[in-house]
Amino acid sequence: MRRRTLTALAAAVGMTVAVGGCNRGGDSASGNDGGPPIVVGSTLSLTGAFAATGEIHKIAGEEYLDRLNAAGGLLGRKVEWKVLDDQSDQAKVAQLYERLITQDKVDLLIGPYATPNILSAMAVAQRHGYVLPQHTAVLAPQLTYECQFPAWSIGPTPNEFIPDQLFDALDSLPTPPKKIAVVTSQSGSAAFVTDGFGDDKKGVLTIAEDRGLDVVVNVHYPPTTTDWAPIATQVRDADPDLIISNGLGVDAVNLVQAMKQLNYTPKKMFALFPAPGPLLALGAPADGILSVSMFEPNKPTLDKLGSKATEITTAFTKRAEAAKLPYTTFETQAAASWNAWDILAAGVTESGGTDQRDMCDSLHEKGADTTFSGHLKFDPKDNNFWPTTQTLKQIQDGEWVTVWPEDKAAAPLR
Amino acid sequence: MNVVQATLSGALIGGLYALMAIGLSVTWGVLRVINLAHFGLILIGAYLTFQLATSWGIDPLLTLVITMPAMFVAGAVLQWIFDRLALTEFNSLLVSFGLLIITIQVTSNVWSADFQRMDAEVNPYATESVSIGRLVFPVTTLLAFVLAGLVVLGAHLVLRRTFAGRALRAIAQDRAVAGAFGVDHRRLSLLLGGAVGATAALAGAVFSLSNALTPDTAYEWFGIVFAVVILGGIGEVVGTFAAGVLVGVLSGVVSVVWSPATAPFVLFSAIILALLLRPRGLFAMGAVR
Amino acid sequence: MTSGVRGAGVLLLVLIGLFALGVFGPDLDFPSFYLVLLGTVFFWIAQTSSWNLLSGYAGYFSFGQAAYVGVGAYCTAVLTGRHGVGFFWTVPLAAVLCGLLALGIGAVAFRLGSLRGEIFALLTLAVPFILSAFARINGDIDGGQGTIVPPPEAPADLDFQQFQYLLALIVAALAVGVSYLVQHSRAGSALTAIHDDEDVAEVLGVPTFRYKILAIVAGGMLGGIAGSVYALQIGFVTVESVFGLTIPLFVIVMAVLGGRSHWLGPVLGAVLIVVLQDRLSSYGLESWNAIFLGAILAILVAAAPAGLYARLKARPWAALIAFVVVCGALAIVNLWGEELDWILAGMLAAAAAAIILGTRRTSAPPQPADEPAAPSRSTVEPEPDDDLPPVGDVVVEVRNVAKHFGGVHALEDVSLDIRAGELIGLIGPNGSGKTTLVNLLSGTFRPTHGEIRVGGKDITRLAPHQIAHVGVARTYQIPKPFASMTVRDNVATAIMFGREPMSLRAARPLAEEHLATVSLDHLADAYPASLNLHQRQLLETARAIASGPSVLLLDEALAGLNPAELDNAVQVVRRIHRSGITIVIVEHLLRVLNQVCTRIVVLDRGAKLADGEPRTVMSDPAVVRAYLGRQAHV
Repeated sequence: MRRRTLTALAAAVGMTVAVGGCNRGGDSASGNDGGPPIVVGSTLSLTGAFAATGEIHKIAGEEYLDRLNAAGGLLGRKVEWKVLDDQSDQAKVAQLYERLITQDKVDLLIGPYATPNILSAMAVAQRHGYVLPQHTAVLAPQLTYECQFPAWSIGPTPNEFIPDQLFDALDSLPTPPKKIAVVTSQSGSAAFVTDGFGDDKKGVLTIAEDRGLDVVVNVHYPPTTTDWAPIATQVRDADPDLIISNGLGVDAVNLVQAMKQLNYTPKKMFALFPAPGPLLALGAPADGILSVSMFEPNKPTLDKLGSKATEITTAFTKRAEAAKLPYTTFETQAAASWNAWDILAAGVTESGGTDQRDMCDSLHEKGADTTFSGHLKFDPKDNNFWPTTQTLKQIQDGEWVTVWPEDKAAAPLR
Repeated sequence: MNVVQATLSGALIGGLYALMAIGLSVTWGVLRVINLAHFGLILIGAYLTFQLATSWGIDPLLTLVITMPAMFVAGAVLQWIFDRLALTEFNSLLVSFGLLIITIQVTSNVWSADFQRMDAEVNPYATESVSIGRLVFPVTTLLAFVLAGLVVLGAHLVLRRTFAGRALRAIAQDRAVAGAFGVDHRRLSLLLGGAVGATAALAGAVFSLSNALTPDTAYEWFGIVFAVVILGGIGEVVGTFAAGVLVGVLSGVVSVVWSPATAPFVLFSAIILALLLRPRGLFAMGAVR
Repeated sequence: MTSGVRGAGVLLLVLIGLFALGVFGPDLDFPSFYLVLLGTVFFWIAQTSSWNLLSGYAGYFSFGQAAYVGVGAYCTAVLTGRHGVGFFWTVPLAAVLCGLLALGIGAVAFRLGSLRGEIFALLTLAVPFILSAFARINGDIDGGQGTIVPPPEAPADLDFQQFQYLLALIVAALAVGVSYLVQHSRAGSALTAIHDDEDVAEVLGVPTFRYKILAIVAGGMLGGIAGSVYALQIGFVTVESVFGLTIPLFVIVMAVLGGRSHWLGPVLGAVLIVVLQDRLSSYGLESWNAIFLGAILAILVAAAPAGLYARLKARPWAALIAFVVVCGALAIVNLWGEELDWILAGMLAAAAAAIILGTRRTSAPPQPADEPAAPSRSTVEPEPDDDLPPVGDVVVEVRNVAKHFGGVHALEDVSLDIRAGELIGLIGPNGSGKTTLVNLLSGTFRPTHGEIRVGGKDITRLAPHQIAHVGVARTYQIPKPFASMTVRDNVATAIMFGREPMSLRAARPLAEEHLATVSLDHLADAYPASLNLHQRQLLETARAIASGPSVLLLDEALAGLNPAELDNAVQVVRRIHRSGITIVIVEHLLRVLNQVCTRIVVLDRGAKLADGEPRTVMSDPAVVRAYLGRQAHV
């Protein structure tokens, strides 16, 4: 009885090998000449922990490709996007990118969403020598593959740039903060900005000290925190001039809510990478909160960029509404997506084809033109992180508005 | 002062934890079903409250009039499925896991995966609180605490004083013998499943008052809810309430005295200790089993 | 014996084939993506097989597999990523760390007898949470930021996919190999016995603690090694990705779906689920993937609660034919999908065929065998009464023994001497402490006061399995056979773990001899579920004498029997007695006791009331009062 089962199993394995081996070669060649479409492969977190933002990138990508194909595609060929759901699972990211490259033989790659997934995808791209434009990983020191191109750059040292920019901006106010509270999520990018990475210990804490600010609260919390009252209590009792919430997602919302419940209104607050929608839904208590931004569709900004930018943001909003997204504004995340596609397109058009080595070289040599961030220059010494155009945004009257630096601001900082 | 407030806030949010956990604990203890789909019911309850309050502009708590009966039916149907399948305990875990996966995906299809949160106009409770001196009772968690207390009190009275309650306890101990005494376990288990579903609707509604929702949120509840179930004792109604409060207080105090990062470490180490010293639950009083 | 060796042979062939695939695949144009997919399959095979050692075989469901994956992955990630240690050094280190972790968990959890089933599961659930908090707190380990795992140099001219594939294959082969060896060794029988009834196994002589620790440590080490290799696969290790709940949940899903009691089960489950998920994700129907997966999972577990392996084993040809037909038809028609799709369709068809056809055949529930009350040796004349073994030295001394359960004094100051060759009847009204005394003698409980010696050796502080080795065996009031073993194997287990350890193969013929003593040899291949009460009691008895005891405790072995069965049972007891075993029989039926016993001991409310010749004791007025005052059996 057992023997039969094992024989059956062995036969099945054998058949698998035979069928798999024999039936190769049915794939169509993805030729570089004229007609056949260019296929871009990627994964996105459409389900799972990162899905909230993953959807935004999907919609942005679809919008981009519609416009691109309407304008004739790339090198005269239509562009198709094969996007697979990685379920926010790193192991699946690696596996799916391998499939896209070796099995589906896609012409081009673009990155997934969320830093851990991007790093896993980067490893695969590196192995196969593919160019990888990626949307949102800003931890420059960890992104060491030379053909990885960031669509969102906070420069080579975000852990220095962000606190510097923030404190500079606040110094321009009549009463700059003196006492600050730093509340940090124990996860990737957030902890990096507070504590630095590896031997580089610079971050919010050290820079605040250098500037003579008094850090009255320094709390690290796990991403799984459900009860915000203890942290809120500590902050309330310390009564700082500025709260820096280096967190992701809805951490800032929960913190503000907890503080309001304690009848405490923070004087000034900064949130690092919040989900933009839920903070607005909080209403009045969220007024005045600052955050980092690459792009906000404020009228002055759009006017400066031209009518194309306005068309894009409007079209995106329509698509997002059709997809039943609660927050349909085209802002930093979507702009990062757009940049990534611009970079990919630039690589193809500048190098005249889809050869990965040529694309990588030409991007290093010539850079890329993007709709929302201008011309980007990629220096391998900085892990391709171009000089940042990061701004600060602030919630004013229920909207996110770019407020710093002054030359890019749509409204003054309050 | 910090510590006192943290204790208080922790105790109140413990009410929410208990409200979530009690359904799971009771079906586990009485019906021998580890129902992961319970998290799915809470999730749907939360989304329904969000949707109804936002679309109709009514007070979120009023939505309970609709969500509780709806979840009652859902819970009863779920229990009916489990009864028909006659699964072992751990197999029921796997089947319910399959159902949970389906539920989460359906939620994502209907409401998208993005954060959904009731606007401040729709939901005035999120930032309100009641103050007594320097002590603050946030309205949302206060509500959770009171509701949990009521549910537990009600469940306790039903189990102790009514025939149905005694019948349930009999089923928990020996279904076959209880049947021989005329206890119809099928009808009772449907009722229990429905009641559990109703508590899921309550928990979901309260959760949505102070949190943004995504489909994945259901998985975030696992750790805390199981912690409460372990400490309270499987099937122990009052024990679950006490355990919820304990978990909330312990996490809160450790967060303030030490650091929020240490809180999960201390909490789960305490759970292991508790399991070693009192395996049937810290507050096990032999109520149901 | 041959089927086990043949099974190993086929397994080895398959492994060699897979290995060759990895080394020569790309040269033969074998798509490298399949290597990656197989690599994922191997990871899950390794995890499920290692989980199955304790949780499947022994039934101690663990929710903490993430602990081993996490420790293994972090060990590799931190050492290679932050300290530049060579990858191959981190693997054994991961194994050691995880082994220690598992040892710690086991040492703590298994020492406390009350930590069974769901409580153990919940305990293991807490461990990954503690470890993940620990990793987050510790800046040296992670601080929450995650660690990049630099890929090691691939040897010779292997490219990275091949290297990863071979690594994963080696780990999976190791896990499956260990799984196979454990199942076919004494450890396997021990773990199965522990799964079916741990207390009975312990009393039979199985050192349950030792085997459980073996299983948990082996499982932990293998899980850790697999975690190490997993770190390479994902390239960037964060707390969420390795300590999360996804891995443990899916490990359980795969192992249970495949079948937890055989080493092939987890393999089947892993293959099916991984291929299913891969296919679902490739169709691009993101909003339906999870729905299909959840539905298939729920349906399969509901339809095949004991796992797919059992179903496939019952109907192997039906399954194979279904697989070949469906897969082949799709391949020939070639209108839809690619090879993997056809293989998946074939697998699902095979599973469906096995399940559907299986239910039809086994729809008739096993009937308790309607055996004639007279056994196969019915022609034996009743043996003469006076052919009794001589009474020898004292073999069991009970001295001032008391047993208190909280406020209840089940036994109070009981002293007793049992001599070799006696057949003692232990009687008394309900609640008099008879079963408690038996429990004390067999080691299930420890006396609150007093001491007990067997063969001169103080057994008061010994574990039940050690007491079994000293020579005490018992049966239970309600028979507790090992449900997943045949009648023969039930008895063989007792022999295997008796005073002279031996393998299952060697024990089986001896088991048949003991079955003959109780006249059950014709049912040797049956499962306990198909036996009636009397046969189960006989099995219970055969199992008890198989461990070669000097003292046999029969706890109400004659309850619930009709007169013909009763006579048979009494004959069996006599036979055993005559073979030289001292017997203590707890009974209510006075006429039986009068027939067989050499001595009667009466307990009443925890104290010894009378002790002596049957006729004397029966006419003792105190005894009569004790009985008639509460109940009277005539």
